[in-house]
Amino acid sequence: MHIMEGYLPLQWCIIWFVISLIVVAFGIYQIKKIVDETPESKALLAVSGAFMFILSSLKLPSVTGSCSHPCGNGLGAALFGPAVTAVLATIVLIFQALLLAHGGLTTLGANIFSMGIVGPVIAWIVYKGLIKANISSTIAVFFAAFLGDLLTYVATSFQLALAFPAPTFGAALSNFLIIFAVTQIPLAIGEGILTVIIWDRLKAYKPKLLDKLGALAPNEA
Amino acid sequence: MKFDMDYIAHHNELTEANPYYKLFLTIFLLILTLALDNLYFDIFIFIAMSIVILAIAKINYRSYLKFLSIPMAFVVLTCLFLIFFFGKGEVIYETGIFGIVVTTDSLHYGVYTFFRVVGCLPSLGFLALTTPIAKILHCLATLKVPKIVIEIALLMYNSIFIFLNEIDTMQKAQETRLGYHSYWNSFKSLGALASTIFLRSLDKSETLQHSLDSRGYTGELPVYNPRKREN
Repeated sequence: MHIMEGYLPLQWCIIWFVISLIVVAFGIYQIKKIVDETPESKALLAVSGAFMFILSSLKLPSVTGSCSHPCGNGLGAALFGPAVTAVLATIVLIFQALLLAHGGLTTLGANIFSMGIVGPVIAWIVYKGLIKANISSTIAVFFAAFLGDLLTYVATSFQLALAFPAPTFGAALSNFLIIFAVTQIPLAIGEGILTVIIWDRLKAYKPKLLDKLGALAPNEA
Repeated sequence: MKFDMDYIAHHNELTEANPYYKLFLTIFLLILTLALDNLYFDIFIFIAMSIVILAIAKINYRSYLKFLSIPMAFVVLTCLFLIFFFGKGEVIYETGIFGIVVTTDSLHYGVYTFFRVVGCLPSLGFLALTTPIAKILHCLATLKVPKIVIEIALLMYNSIFIFLNEIDTMQKAQETRLGYHSYWNSFKSLGALASTIFLRSLDKSETLQHSLDSRGYTGELPVYNPRKREN
């Protein structure tokens, strides 16, 4: 559920575009560095991006009866780090707008900021922090995915409250938080569980790859 | 789960039209609609672009309605929400439930946001429904978007459709084995599905890399850009 085309007034579109462009530019710089060092990682990045897109078009069974989809940004952040995930999320969002009418071009900047920057950064910090504290990567990945998903929607609420500050910014924020963030909690838990199941299988079948990406806890490597 | 929009983008009267014009027209119209923020202009754009999509690009009206329906349903909900819960100023209507009121401000927000979305959606639809992704990416490449991004995007677009076929097969297999029978089961099945695709995608990426390398890949994918067919 991204902010849809035309929902934000022009000035906010521009502000979010500028902020996101800076981060994405940094991400592109990082990707260039990675690809220069190991040329074979380009295909891996592309396929992971496609995986993110596919994951976000799978329907997650949800308690409330409605259907939502996992963002996949928690997994991406745990595997590749936040800057690279921001670039992948940008491409995914463009594809979602053009192939699924999900999100939009004018609100692309705002959506990149919430789904490609805030979510992955939080997920990455949580993941690295928990691993440093010697907690197993399975639990760490649950919290990373859970918080990455939830914070994406908290960021969206912030953006909407800034665009529609009525009657006051605070009141608008609490309204949007109730609608977007509180209803998202069960879905975020769902995404956490799903990511743990994926993570377990990855650990069982491709431990070397996870180790090479530096994504495993030191005692599990 | 099929991407009808991708099929439509390849099969309509405007597929072969210059993609630069389409891209710039869309961006120009989107910015203009947002900048003017005028109700009449929004409706005018909606009607004008719908005529272009339906009459000139000759896109089936059902596909167009399908494209509009999901965002529209969502925008109606959120705008009702804006009208009833936001705002200060004069009260113009009292619902009598929990003191929820409609005020001049909230009505203004709701109505303007609704028509802004109504104005913008057909412009996005024009680009999405008439222009194949590969052409848009080619445009972006000549507009100095970093090469690495375009390449990753192209490879991604390619793999998305490979995955879709595999997901279709796997999901049917899971369904015939009652994989989505209960709530917990569907989580397990979905997790197995997603992780299997990820593992397969890793193999695919390796194969892709080997095939690229064996054809002298140096970090650049030259794409054949067919000339316009002349009848």
